[in-house]
Amino acid sequence: MNPDQIKQRADKNQMPENRPAEKETSRADDASIQALSEALRSSFVIVKIVMVILVLAFLGSGFFTVRTMEKAIILRFGKPVSEDERALLGPGAHFAFPKPIDEVVKIPLGEVQTIRTDTGWYYTTPTMEASGKEPPPGKTLSPERDGYLMTGDGGIVHVRGVLKYRIAEPGLRYTLDFDSATNHIRNALDNALLYASLKSSIDITRDTTVFRELALQRLNQLIEKQQLGIIVEQLAVQVIPPRQVKADFDRVLEAEVKRSTAINEARQYENEVINRAKAEAVARINAAEADKKALVEMVSEDVRRFQSLLPEYKKNPQLFRELRFAETLRRIYTNSIDKIVIQEREDGKPREFRVLLNRAPETTTPSQPTQKSGEHKH
Amino acid sequence: MVVGALLLAVFFAVLFIFQVRKGEIAVVTTFGKATRFEGPGAHFKLPWPFQDVYKFDQRIHSLESKFEQVQTADGYNLLVMTYIGWNIEDPRSFYITIGSSISKAEETLESLLRNAYSGVIGRHNLSDLITSDPTKSKFTQIEEEILAKLRSDLQSSTNNYGIAVKFLGIKKLGLPESVTEAVFERMRSERQVLVSKIQSEGERQASEIRSSADTESAKILAEADAQALRIRSLGELEAAKTYAEFKQEPELANFLLSLDALESFLKEKTVLFLDTQTAPLNLMKNPLSSTNTLGLTNFIFKNNLRTP
Repeated sequence: MNPDQIKQRADKNQMPENRPAEKETSRADDASIQALSEALRSSFVIVKIVMVILVLAFLGSGFFTVRTMEKAIILRFGKPVSEDERALLGPGAHFAFPKPIDEVVKIPLGEVQTIRTDTGWYYTTPTMEASGKEPPPGKTLSPERDGYLMTGDGGIVHVRGVLKYRIAEPGLRYTLDFDSATNHIRNALDNALLYASLKSSIDITRDTTVFRELALQRLNQLIEKQQLGIIVEQLAVQVIPPRQVKADFDRVLEAEVKRSTAINEARQYENEVINRAKAEAVARINAAEADKKALVEMVSEDVRRFQSLLPEYKKNPQLFRELRFAETLRRIYTNSIDKIVIQEREDGKPREFRVLLNRAPETTTPSQPTQKSGEHKH
Repeated sequence: MVVGALLLAVFFAVLFIFQVRKGEIAVVTTFGKATRFEGPGAHFKLPWPFQDVYKFDQRIHSLESKFEQVQTADGYNLLVMTYIGWNIEDPRSFYITIGSSISKAEETLESLLRNAYSGVIGRHNLSDLITSDPTKSKFTQIEEEILAKLRSDLQSSTNNYGIAVKFLGIKKLGLPESVTEAVFERMRSERQVLVSKIQSEGERQASEIRSSADTESAKILAEADAQALRIRSLGELEAAKTYAEFKQEPELANFLLSLDALESFLKEKTVLFLDTQTAPLNLMKNPLSSTNTLGLTNFIFKNNLRTP
């Protein structure tokens, strides 16, 4: 309270004392009116303050932030403030009048969104799947319960698709032009998977690459044609044969494993045989080389000896021969194991003797001298 | 006073002004008769009971048909589910023919859609949808035909619903439940054929590899033998060239080689039978003979025990 007010109050308090002629009752009434008006005045001030706060809060509630990778557009009385794409508000703080004047629509442009489709999958739920308690496959697939796709060659496959996408700039169509953009996208995804499977064969259970490419291509076509306003980040597909025939598909895999094992073994055999042949070939060639070398060396040794002996021989061929021969004989006689000398018969007739040749060599070991096998007759 | 004026303004605004959001269209009816259409924004109207406002969601709605059985031209039963994207194109016609209820529109669309796809698929053979030759697939063509039929039904002169179908596609195809079992049976037998094909193929390839390996190794050895022969004959040629030296004194050469042959011939395991006429044993008989000549013994017997 400022000094003036204090003074005023002091004046008021003094008043009754200044007018002593007035009655006590009227004096009391006067005081109560005074108090009432004062109370009113002060409460009015409070109301004013509250109203100011309310107005500020009302206006202040119009501030909003746009996060990174997000855009926003303001609808004023339900109509976009501008149809221009540049009217999109980027990240930061912005102001809009509160409802019902303005409505802020945020567009999560950068956020990657995911859509899954189980349209082509047999009946199961995520909890059943997680706990491994999937319903066992029946003999047939019920159209009401089980989903599946048909391949171009008349087969049945189960397909699951997971699409990851972003909203394409500017995102107005995605956000404002569809009652539920995700429903439309899921439909397009289902259509793309069906289209791709009808253009493929049952082999997509083995290799989904081509199938996935086809589906992706189709999906992009649909996105363009239906102006869904999204960009595909990634399309993942899972394709399995029906559980009813899984065992048969497994047998094919098994057969393929066996085939590659057989081929690998054959390749191993091939390696071994060829390596062995190569080694043998080298050995044979080396042996030939060695033979050649030995032969040449032997011959040249002979020739060397011949040349060294030639001068001596020329001096006296007869003597040379006899000396050489005797020398050789000596060596032969020394080296030979058994020598049997046959005396000339007195009558000068030649002696007759028989040698029994060893008919069965295995009965005689190499160390046994020949004599044992021989019998002499005189 | 200010507050009162403000409250009054709000009251009148509520009575006389209405908002149309982006994606909506409003039909203003005067005494029940559609008089004007308003797009997004704030608009003026007279209060009830003079004028009324119906708002229509003009965004594109998705609608899926039921999964229902239809028959192809060649008599196969097929289950088909289609989806469409549709919106209210002409609110006046929509209001007149259907009213303001989206679900009623969906009912109408669903029956028209069923009519359209069963008619179109009834004109096609099963092989137009399910064919192992992708180029013969008429999938997109059938979709287009259904869409064209649906559009023409929606815009016939007698019944203009004011609905536009933006796009249409087949969501699901199926077979009657009993047929799936037959399909499984066929798939099974196909797999079995494949298994035996793979097995025999594996065996064939393996034996091909083995036999070609054998051929290859025989070839390698034959080549090696040929080369060895060439090398040996080269050696012999060389030796023959060297032997040319012997021409100087063939007799000596002959003698030397004979000696060598003799020596190596009698090198091992030899039993010699010698008579006393053989030099030098003749000395034993006739030590003083000077005419004794060196001659080879009468018997030379080589006993080779090691038969190869």
